Formats: sequence, C-alpha cells, structure tokens
Amino acid sequence: MTVKIVTDTLSDITGDLTDEIGVNVVPLYVRFGERIYRDRVDITSEEFYRRLVTEAVLPSTTQPTPNDFYQVYEQLAESTDEILVITVSSKLSGTFQSAAQAISMMEGRTTKIEVVDSGCVAMTLGLPVIATASQAANGTGLAELAEYARGACRRTHLVAYFDTLKYLAKGGRIGKAQGLLGSMLSVKPILTLREGEMAPLTRVRSKSAGMDYLLNAVARKPELLAVEHCTTPEDADGLAARLRQAYPDVPIYRSVISPVIGTYSGPGAVAVSILEAE
Amino acid sequence: MTIQTQTLAGQQLRDMFDAAASWLEKSSSDIDALNVFPVPDGDTGTNMMLTMRSTMEEAFRAPDHSATGVAAAMARGALMGARGNSGVILSQIWRGLARGLEGKDDFNAEDLAEALKQASEVAYNGVSNPVEGTMLTVIRDAAAAARKKVDEGVTDIIEVLETTVEAAADSVAQTPNLLRVLKDAGVVDAGGQGVYTILDGALRYLRGETELMRLRKPQIIVSELPHAAAAPPVSQADEVPFGYCTEFLLKGEKLDPEAMKKRLLRKGESLIVVGDDSAVRIHIHTLTPGAILQYAAKLGTMHQVSVRNMDEQHQDFLEMQKERQPTTDTAVIAIASGEGLIDVFGSLGAAATVPGGQTMNPSTKDILQVVEATPSANVIILPNNKNIINTAKQVQELTEKQVCVVPTRTIPQGVVALLAFDYEADFKANAEIMEKALSSVVTIEITQAVRAAKINGTKIKRKQPIGLMDGELIAVGDTHLAVIKQLLGRLAMEKYEVVTIYHGADADTEEVETINRSIAEQYPNVQVELIKGGQPHYSYIISVE
Repeated sequence: MTVKIVTDTLSDITGDLTDEIGVNVVPLYVRFGERIYRDRVDITSEEFYRRLVTEAVLPSTTQPTPNDFYQVYEQLAESTDEILVITVSSKLSGTFQSAAQAISMMEGRTTKIEVVDSGCVAMTLGLPVIATASQAANGTGLAELAEYARGACRRTHLVAYFDTLKYLAKGGRIGKAQGLLGSMLSVKPILTLREGEMAPLTRVRSKSAGMDYLLNAVARKPELLAVEHCTTPEDADGLAARLRQAYPDVPIYRSVISPVIGTYSGPGAVAVSILEAE
Repeated sequence: MTIQTQTLAGQQLRDMFDAAASWLEKSSSDIDALNVFPVPDGDTGTNMMLTMRSTMEEAFRAPDHSATGVAAAMARGALMGARGNSGVILSQIWRGLARGLEGKDDFNAEDLAEALKQASEVAYNGVSNPVEGTMLTVIRDAAAAARKKVDEGVTDIIEVLETTVEAAADSVAQTPNLLRVLKDAGVVDAGGQGVYTILDGALRYLRGETELMRLRKPQIIVSELPHAAAAPPVSQADEVPFGYCTEFLLKGEKLDPEAMKKRLLRKGESLIVVGDDSAVRIHIHTLTPGAILQYAAKLGTMHQVSVRNMDEQHQDFLEMQKERQPTTDTAVIAIASGEGLIDVFGSLGAAATVPGGQTMNPSTKDILQVVEATPSANVIILPNNKNIINTAKQVQELTEKQVCVVPTRTIPQGVVALLAFDYEADFKANAEIMEKALSSVVTIEITQAVRAAKINGTKIKRKQPIGLMDGELIAVGDTHLAVIKQLLGRLAMEKYEVVTIYHGADADTEEVETINRSIAEQYPNVQVELIKGGQPHYSYIISVE
C-alpha cells in the first residue's frame, strides 16, 4: 500500500494540481472582519486580493483545527495504513500543531501517521510535497519517505519580488527586511525566507529588473521549479516562459500565492521556488 | 451579529490588562531593540514588561473587585514595581486611570474616555520636562481619540477602544516626526510602542482574540518616513559622559513629591518624581548619584535602589544595535554633497556619507576618518566622482580594515551600486555585484559653462547650459530643458524604465516641474521620479535606468 500524502493550502497546491499529484490538501482559514473563509475553498484568490486592497481592515488567518486533519486521516485510513503529513513552517502557523494533535484522535486505528514540519511556505513547500508524492508512488515506506521529505525541504529556496513592503510592515512580519523601508527612491524589494522570516536580498528599481533578478536567482542545478503570482498572472507567465527556455528539462509549476501569504506580500508579488537537485 | 460591550466590571478591567501584560511581554525584546541612546532607558520593553508584572500582581491581590478597587491596586503595584523612565511614566498612566475610575463599581465608554484623559494628564505632570514624540504623546493622542468617539455618541466600549488603539498606532508612527533622534535612527519611540501594545492587547482580549494572541506577536509600528542620512561621525574628543541612571522607591511619612521635584530639578536630566505622601518613586540621570541618595536618605527609607552607569549601557546598546543589523558585516560609505543626495544614500542604507563631489574633492584623510569610525570591519567606498576614485583607493593602504572601492564616477552610478547591494553576499562578492550594476545606468549631468570654449566643432558661450553623458561633454543649448532633450534623444529610450531627476541647489521650482512634465509626456513608458538632490554645481543630475 502506498503512503498517502497530506499537506495544507499554504503549499499552494490547489485545483487540478491536487488531483494530478494525488495529495490531500487541508485548508487554512482567512478572516475578513466577522466572515471566515476556507483558503481557496470559500474564497477565490481574486476575490481575496480585491478585498485586501479595498478594505481598511487587514484580514487575519487561522490554522486548520485538529478536527480538520482528523477528518482527512479518517478518510484516508480506509485505504491506507501509512500517512505522511507535510505542513507549512511551524514558525509561521500553528498548522503543524493541529496536524500532530489530530493523531491522538485516531482511536482504534492502527494507521501510522508522521507529521513533518517543512520550515517552508508557498511553492517552497509545494515542491518538496510534489517530489515526495512521486517517491511515494514508487512504493517508498513511511520512515524513509519522511526522511526524504525533510531533505527536500532543506533543498528548496524562495526568491520573491514584492511590489511594496507596506503589507509586510502592517502585518508585523517585517523582521530583518525593515532596513529596506524608508527609501527616498521608489524601490522594489527582493526577499527570501530565512527561518520563517522574510529577509532582504536586494532592491531593484522596476518590476522588469525584478523579474530579471528572479530569473538569475535560479543558479545551481534545479530539479523542480515553480513560479507564482498574487494578482499579476502575466508577470509570472512571462517569467515561467523565460525559465522554460533556460531550463528546458526542468518541470516548472505555475501556481497562485495563497491569500494567507498574500496578506503579507500584498498584490503584485511574484515568487520563484527552487528545489535543487540532490 | 457584532458583540457590544456597554459596561465593564472590575474583574474585566483586570483581565483585559492582564492579557495586555502578556501581549506586551511577547514584544518586550522587540521594543528593547527600538531604543535610541541617549533617550533614557536602555531597555524600555523589559522595563515596561516588569512594571506591568508588578502592576497586575497587585491587581490580583486586591480584595476589592470593583473597577475602582482594581485600578487603585494597579496604580499601587505599578508605583512599587516601576522600572526605568518608561516604567515610571507607565505607573503615572495607571495612577491617572485609577483617578478617573474612582468610586465606580463598573465603567462605561464615557468613563473610559475620562479615565484615559486623566491618565494622560497625570503622566504629563509626573515628568519635569515633557518631551513630545514619546509615550506621553501617544497616551494623549489615544485619550483624545477615545473622547472624540464618545462625543460622537458611541457607547460600545470595544468600538471606542478600537479607535483609541488606531490613534495610538498612528501616533507611534508619527513619533519620528517629533523627535529627531528617532528619525535619525529610523525607528519609532519604544515607550510609545509599549503604550500602543498594552492598549492593543486589552482590545484584543475584549474582542475574544485570546487564541490569536497566543500564536501571534504584537505588531511593531513602522514609520514609513524616509530615514535621515546617517549623521557624520563625531570626533573622539567631544564624547560627553552620560552619567548614572539613578532610581529608587522612597517610603516614609508625609512625603512631599512636589518639593522633592523642585529640589532635584537641577541635579540632573530626565527627572521624574511621582507618588504620594507614603511612597515616592524617583528617577534621574545624574553625574552625582551619591548626593541624590544622601538627600533622599534623610526623608525616609530607600528601596529597590539602582544606580547604573549609562556609558556602559551605551556600549551594550551599540553592541545590540550591531546585532539588529541584517546579516552582513559590510558597510557602504558614499561620497556626496547636497542635503538631498546625502539623504538618498542614507535612506538606501549607506552607513555614512563623506561630504564631497565635483570641485570639492575630499582628502584621503577625510575618507579614512569615516572608514575608521564605521563599526564594520569591511567597508565598500562609493566615490561617485572620477576625481575621487584614486583618493579613495589610498585609504586601502592606511587602514587595518578591508576596504574596496567600487569605481562609481557619478551619483547615479553610486545609487545603482548601493541598490544592488546583496544582503546575503559576502564582502568580495558584493563589491563585484555592485561594480557589475554600474553598466545598467546612464548618467546625464547638466551644468553651465564656466568659460567660452569650442567642443567637437560647437561653440560654447560662457554660462551657457551644457550637458554631459557619462562624463563626456556632448550637448549645449539655450535652456536646461533643451540640453536634457538632446541628450535623452541620443538614447534608445524604449529600453529604459526609470528616469530619476535630482535637481540641484540652484534649480528653479517651475523649471523642475516643466522638465518633469516634458520627459513624462515625451516618454510615456518610463517612470519619472523627482528628487531634491540639493547638490551644488550641477543644476540637474539625471539617472536613466
């Protein structure tokens, strides 16, 4: 029996991609005022970003409940005896805790479940999930698969272009990127993720210079690549096309940055995730 | 349905500020990091947190569970346990709040607004020399917002508090505008941030966001103001000792805080004397702590006596500042003149600027001094003028530090080099990245001919506008605009995206606008940015990227 893989919506694995690679994705929650939505189940990305810009109150986000994970485990337990859960970085969300707590709810089941804290987010989480899913399809066992997933998470990097630091600052997640604020010239930050915190890489003056930077950021040999956008699919499509030319043999995934992350990135952000070859 | 809260009882008052204390605690190290010496207090976040602990311990001990009982206990606990300048002012805020809630079993929005007003007034009165742009300003603005909301007829306490917290956040963001040291350091006031965090914590508790408070950290308000340029380094000679931060609690009978305040006023700086006839807390920065303690010993018994050497604190502060920097040990020093240009380099992260430029080349010694004064072991110098490159290179021989000169020949080259700085690359790699970036910019400089001349067959009259492209004199015309148009016409403008115009000290405001409009109209695909460079000599420096 193959190991079943579970992740959360912060992996940005949604829609057709979910079925294509055969994983189960548990949604986080997004709250605008008093309405609560399941990430990309009850609210589309488009709707979310439209409201992010127009509404005065910033949305807040909440992890899935242990019960949300329990329901998925129960359902999977009908067809498998081993489940591997790969969650968004525990530094960014309590999702890992919920996934782990849900194991204790599995009374009377012998299903083995392991939860891996990826330390990643967005497609930097999505790519290791995709790689791990294809390993699972080869029949790899749970323990070995969990080890593989941890290794894959260490091999991924995120390089992101932000149109503005406003949302990161408002959301209180500015961290080391604070040094990039307050510039007298209009500049666009290029950021990466370090230990769950956005950290500065450099600055550019224009979006196209930003796209050039993201293209060149894919330096070492990539195994998988992903390009994501918030509100500007044309930017991400253009970048993906250039990457395809530069790396014709590397699978390149296209996705949309989760609204949960979009709260901090703001509209206009474009991100590249790189899974380096072993 | 929205939750409405018309009145709150004493226990809720206690619980909301208890939640606020925990909320503050999560943020205390972040608030510590906001400190700007020599603004009093090396560790505002920690001091406020410890003061809040003492405040709430007393509140939980209080036998009287009415609002007035809880508030009085909080004020007492705060006074007994106040730490540091910020802690003492915070204790005054609770004292004012208690005064405002006196005689009330529970309280409504109107009472809250009144209590906040009292809190602000008592806080101001406790300080011998109130400074704006500090926690005093923040509590006053917050109280004013609460008052206004109540006057609009709002009776829901949560709604009033929401407005109060928002006003506090805005006020915190404004603090750098009111206090120069904050602006120079590019931070908001730490004490003000603390006040905001406490109010925010109380509000979140009332909104029932306890789960969220467990997982999240309070937001540190960020001011979007441009940072001021790094101040030029001061020479070693004018280092003034900061003296001793002296604090204690005085207990006795018939104590007279007002008389004590008058007596101590001339003994030091940042004096705060607060309390009542049985307990008084004193905080002062003085060069003679002994004299203060001797005076106080005659009046009563001293408790929690603390005398700290602020020069040592300053050292610790410098160390901490270093830790706050991004993970790089490379400092960039730019050479520029003109207030605006110096600010541009400062706002983009240059550690320091050396004054200098065309016709005012700095000496090797000038640059060396600044290099030595920079706390980093690795320094990259941007000369921003072809005549300064060699002078800057001399510095390499004269210092123990690793110094690299990125040969920027113009201001725009200096700006693109600094922008390309990679926060995760090491010193050598950064110097390479920055040098590589130089080719991405074209520099146009507009000035006036100092004498008549003939260049490339064109006659130039004295004082006629002339234009240089990447250092070469290639255009002459009757107006600045005409010269700029000629030069831009030589470039394949469809390839470029951003045109930045730094106008000089002598530029005419109307002309600047005309040039700005004209470029924007002729090249609609480029983004035109206007910056007051304030540079001498060049009427305009234009960067085309």
